[in-house]
Amino acid sequence: MKLNEMKYILDESVSMLWRRKAANLISVIIMGLSLLILIVFLMVTLNITGFIDKTSKETRMYVYLNDGVSESDSRDIQLKLLSETGVEEVVFISREEAMEDFRETLGENNELLDALDFNPLPDSYRLKLKEGFVTSAIMKAISERVESWEGIEEVRFGKRWFEKGEKLVRNFFIIDIVLGLIVFLSVVFVISNTVRLTISNSRETIDILKLVGATNKYIEIPFMIEGAMQGVVSSLLAVGLLGVIHWFARGYIQDLVFIRLDAIALFVFLCALLGAVGSFAALRRFLKS
Amino acid sequence: MTQDSRIIAGVYHLSKEFGRHFSLKDVSLQVSNGEIVFLVGPSGAGKSTLLKMIYMDDLPASGQVVVGPYVSSNMKRKTIPDLRRKMGIIFQDFRLLEDRNVFENVALAMKVTGMRMGEIKSRMTEILTRVGLYHKRYEYPRTMSGGEQQRVAIARAVANRPSILLADEPTGNLDPVATKNILELLFKINAGGTAVLMATHDINLVRSFGQRIIYLEAGSIVRDSEKIFVGDIRDRIEKSSVSESAERLAGHEITGEDEE
Repeated sequence: MKLNEMKYILDESVSMLWRRKAANLISVIIMGLSLLILIVFLMVTLNITGFIDKTSKETRMYVYLNDGVSESDSRDIQLKLLSETGVEEVVFISREEAMEDFRETLGENNELLDALDFNPLPDSYRLKLKEGFVTSAIMKAISERVESWEGIEEVRFGKRWFEKGEKLVRNFFIIDIVLGLIVFLSVVFVISNTVRLTISNSRETIDILKLVGATNKYIEIPFMIEGAMQGVVSSLLAVGLLGVIHWFARGYIQDLVFIRLDAIALFVFLCALLGAVGSFAALRRFLKS
Repeated sequence: MTQDSRIIAGVYHLSKEFGRHFSLKDVSLQVSNGEIVFLVGPSGAGKSTLLKMIYMDDLPASGQVVVGPYVSSNMKRKTIPDLRRKMGIIFQDFRLLEDRNVFENVALAMKVTGMRMGEIKSRMTEILTRVGLYHKRYEYPRTMSGGEQQRVAIARAVANRPSILLADEPTGNLDPVATKNILELLFKINAGGTAVLMATHDINLVRSFGQRIIYLEAGSIVRDSEKIFVGDIRDRIEKSSVSESAERLAGHEITGEDEE
């Protein structure tokens, strides 16, 4: 390719973007809005999975000891608990500490406790499980095993609540994946159609360029640049709108997480690629005929 | 296939059919360097199809098209742009880019060849002066009359100094005065050495010029007004000088009848 030709191709690209600014604006808005649906969906998924993750990380099991277990027996229990598979951390909570916590939990109403002349709470161990072991099945197995030991009164981990939660998470993931696929396919459909429309609206221009002896490259490159620009601008538009939505939603949900910057960069890049490749594919059909 | 070097474009035993209907049936004709030829026939006779075959937008089902060094049977998609740069093509509907001004429309043909901007500008002055539109170089097609738009199309077609100009019903959309102007311009271009092959449905428009007329009917050539003798070519170029063509035009009543 001659240097002049390359310069003209670039000129052509820039001037094409400018000449068709109205049509391009409409395309960008259509693409941006459909991309917005996709990334709103991604942000919601991200936050829900984040919440699930956090909840599972904060989950603890409580092992309550019988009254009168000696200090050395208690230490043996601690060691045995630590050797259970999946247990990451075992923290001793004395009955006094438990009472202190209880008082704090009750807040203003803690005067009620003053009426008690003894501490009814037992010593206990708080277990933290390793990642991936926080499932109702594993916790049930641990608690059944531990409860059979000497000196153990009870093991608690909010079983009922947990089982319900797990079912909910499973259903959520199935719905999320199906929905995500539908949203993704519709977005790809909308974008490829918008791109194809742009190209078929330019059919006359393409025919004239062919007529005067433009090479395929001369015709293709400006359209590919246009497609890539549409991808970049529409994805930035979508991210911007998501930012606005995020800003408003944070008034209601405090820890609402935004999409990470590197993920946004990847998203913009992929949209640019989709625009360029889409234009190229749509053009090929015209140029071959 | 090689042909006589004095022939700029030739078709040989060309056939093309659409479904069961023949659109061209065993058509052969040659256009010599510097010649002007009128291809006359009613709508649907196959004139446009024949021109399309010559600029290789459509390939023949059987037969051969030869334009300079380009032969239809071993034409590659990649070399089609080269062929197009060596010929000019104009149409009834002008085919200008509506979103570009005159300068940009004409420059396009030169830009695609990678010509330097300086060269483009200097040629532009010459070409636009020739078609009489230099003063309108920054106007847009929609603000111009049909005749002016066709002159822009002609300027674009001759920008790369082609050896042949194909014109498909170039006056079909024009009033009698504009028609006369465009024909004059085509003769002027022909006088500069460019061969012209013009298709028209209107025999009255071209009969009086005394130039070669080929009659096409239902996809076949039914008559060729003259045989080409090599010795005649130079004579004919001289004969078809502008003044003489204009004289002929003046004596000819243009019907301005609408087609189709």
